[in-house]
Amino acid sequence: MINNPNGRWFDCLPSCQAQVPCGHARHTVRWEAGSLVLSEHPDAEGEQVLAALGGDKAGCVELAEAWGRHIADLSMLAIGPRGPADEIVVGWEDVAEAAQASQGRPGYPGRRPRPAQQIQPRPTPMAKPIRASARAVSAHRQAQAEVDRARQRRNDLLSLLALGYGFQVRLIGHVAAAHADRSDERVRPALVAAITGRLAPVAERWLGIDPDQVAVSLEHRPGCRATELTGRGEERQLRVSLPAGWLASVWACGLALVGRYLVVAVEQAGWPDARVLGLRSPGAEPVPLDVHAAADAHDGPADAPHWEI
Amino acid sequence: MNRERAETHLRLMVEAEMRDAVSAKPVSSAPWSADSPNASFPVVAKVAQALTAVGALDAEAAEDILADFAFAVAVRQGSDLGSLGLRSLRLAGWTPFARPMPFTWPPPTGLLSAAKADPAAGERPAGPGAGEPDRVLPVGVMIPFRQDRVRGELVLMSYAHTISGARFAVAWWIGDSADADRVRFAHPAMLPAPDITTRDDKGASYGLRFTGSGGPEWTGDLILDPEPKRDVRWLDIALPGGPAVRIALGPGSPDGAGPLVKKTGLSSGEHLLNTTAEQLLTIGTDVPLRFRTQGPYISLATGLGAVVAALEAAEVLSALSPVPGQLATLCASLRIYEHGITAAPAHDLPEPWLSVLAHYHRRKPEAPGRDGYAAVGLALPELDGIRLALLGLHNVAGGSVLDVLVNAVAGPVPLSVWVHDSGGRWHATRQVGSRPPRLASSGERRVRLQLTPPLNQSTPWIEVVVVGMSAEVRAKVPLRWRYPP
Repeated sequence: MINNPNGRWFDCLPSCQAQVPCGHARHTVRWEAGSLVLSEHPDAEGEQVLAALGGDKAGCVELAEAWGRHIADLSMLAIGPRGPADEIVVGWEDVAEAAQASQGRPGYPGRRPRPAQQIQPRPTPMAKPIRASARAVSAHRQAQAEVDRARQRRNDLLSLLALGYGFQVRLIGHVAAAHADRSDERVRPALVAAITGRLAPVAERWLGIDPDQVAVSLEHRPGCRATELTGRGEERQLRVSLPAGWLASVWACGLALVGRYLVVAVEQAGWPDARVLGLRSPGAEPVPLDVHAAADAHDGPADAPHWEI
Repeated sequence: MNRERAETHLRLMVEAEMRDAVSAKPVSSAPWSADSPNASFPVVAKVAQALTAVGALDAEAAEDILADFAFAVAVRQGSDLGSLGLRSLRLAGWTPFARPMPFTWPPPTGLLSAAKADPAAGERPAGPGAGEPDRVLPVGVMIPFRQDRVRGELVLMSYAHTISGARFAVAWWIGDSADADRVRFAHPAMLPAPDITTRDDKGASYGLRFTGSGGPEWTGDLILDPEPKRDVRWLDIALPGGPAVRIALGPGSPDGAGPLVKKTGLSSGEHLLNTTAEQLLTIGTDVPLRFRTQGPYISLATGLGAVVAALEAAEVLSALSPVPGQLATLCASLRIYEHGITAAPAHDLPEPWLSVLAHYHRRKPEAPGRDGYAAVGLALPELDGIRLALLGLHNVAGGSVLDVLVNAVAGPVPLSVWVHDSGGRWHATRQVGSRPPRLASSGERRVRLQLTPPLNQSTPWIEVVVVGMSAEVRAKVPLRWRYPP
């Protein structure tokens, strides 16, 4: 979580909701103030306990578990949307088809996980064959476990993407926030790429610059952000230094570009009114801007927040 | 080497490709397919392989990045989601680059220790012969045989006693007869290997078992069972109906001068690009011009510019290195134009490259020489954690093959092997075959290296030059040719 004295990273985000297949019905799942809320399952934890004891697990509960499994998964940054124009075409029918391809394996909504098949080595009087058989069984189990993990991960990711753009960007915000304060060398490459991939189209709209000419570095000093534009014409390059938390508190909240300002930080978080720091041009000092969430329709996905000065 | 920059570079490449995917430009959903119709995935995968090969990126991390890339594209372009993420991504499976083994063979002694490149390498695996030095000797004996209606010559090229046991590197030359083709291209069971009697200077007897590959000759190993002692002085070998032939197994002094070891001063990036150049030379000179835009050949050249940029980003290739420019010149000489290298073409190429190019530009195939087998047996010093032993050289059907024993992971051996002949010509090598180790824990593999261009028959000596990242080994090897009748 980002230690932001001006509020939590998601304070500029309204709640959003989606309809999720759960058994034979469709239930509402809501994201609200940083949490996933299962409206139709007030005792989700109790249901999880019952499922662990052999009962059916509801699709909503499975989805919440998938959300928890990937709330800090850097792969979400690589897979998730780069902006409102980036449409990810996964529907619940795709999730169901992928689940069917899994032949009843665990890890997707609406199905009950089946216990893994037990393979017993056949008894034999020879000691050596027993060892060989045990090795083969062990290798088979290991391979099967890997396939099961891959299937569950695939089904998890598809389910999370099927929730729609609003949930997708919020999940990206959670992932970025989870790593923002501990951006060591193992996670820095993923964070730099994630910010670059999302800032580049924003910079294109801001300056008309070629998105391939946007270079991002991670800024670790609190309150420091820098932008620099070099070169001319097609040789122009924009260098931007931002903290990893920008992805959560600014981009995920739909604040990256407000009016003609590149927003580099949130000074006072809130919905539908907030105060941000924006740049009118590269190299300029950031100026405070009072922004307001617009309720009217715009070109992006329904769940994408839209702000105006 | 900057591992963080290496991974960042690869991820930023993926982001650039993703911008195409987002704008609905066609991007293939099969990054691991070398013959993908879209170039973007193979280029990204090739860069991942290159960074992995030089150790700037873990294979697991590279595979994860490519898997996420595939997933991201698939969910945007409506690909088959059912099989998504379930395919096994193994970079080494089709990479032209390979990684060194994480362990070494027996600790080398004397001169060999001077070339040891990786002091942190692991220990020799336990097993028969563990801790004993390797014994690799040239033999050069030809023994006639007759089995039913098949006749021919058994050529013993070398004797090698290593951690995985003792064997002769042999070739079975099959003479013309009614059943000759059945033996040449069918099963070696018709060869008389099991009927050979073998006895050593202490009176111990051994069985012989042949493993190898065939057509039109059978080459491989005659493995001694049980494993003889290391101090065996000679072996008497008798084929059915023939006299015993004594094979002297001397103290192990190799022919010619001992191998010379010197540092190359190459960076790992330069070494990788040099091996790529050798692949272009060995494949390119064999591929007619009209096929240059197809298959593995174009795949090998595509994205070289991206690889160069990635190696520079990973700080394993200096921006001042002459090798990218040399590679650009080589590509132009081979009429490959889609390489993407932005470095200015170099005016000077390494002498070995020029020698092979001269052969290529001569364009007149030389008449194939007579079949012949040269006794070669020499263990070379360890390079980059890999040891290589020369087991034999043979000219058959117009081609020349150098048989070597190597401890390295499956796939291409990450060493550069050149042959400089007594006439001053250079020969690049390409791996054309490999057999798994007899003793799995030894890591030893039998590898066939095809020479481009082929070696002239009766060449009296060659110099074998093996180049690794840290150093190179040069060994002058006299050739004792044997010619079947």
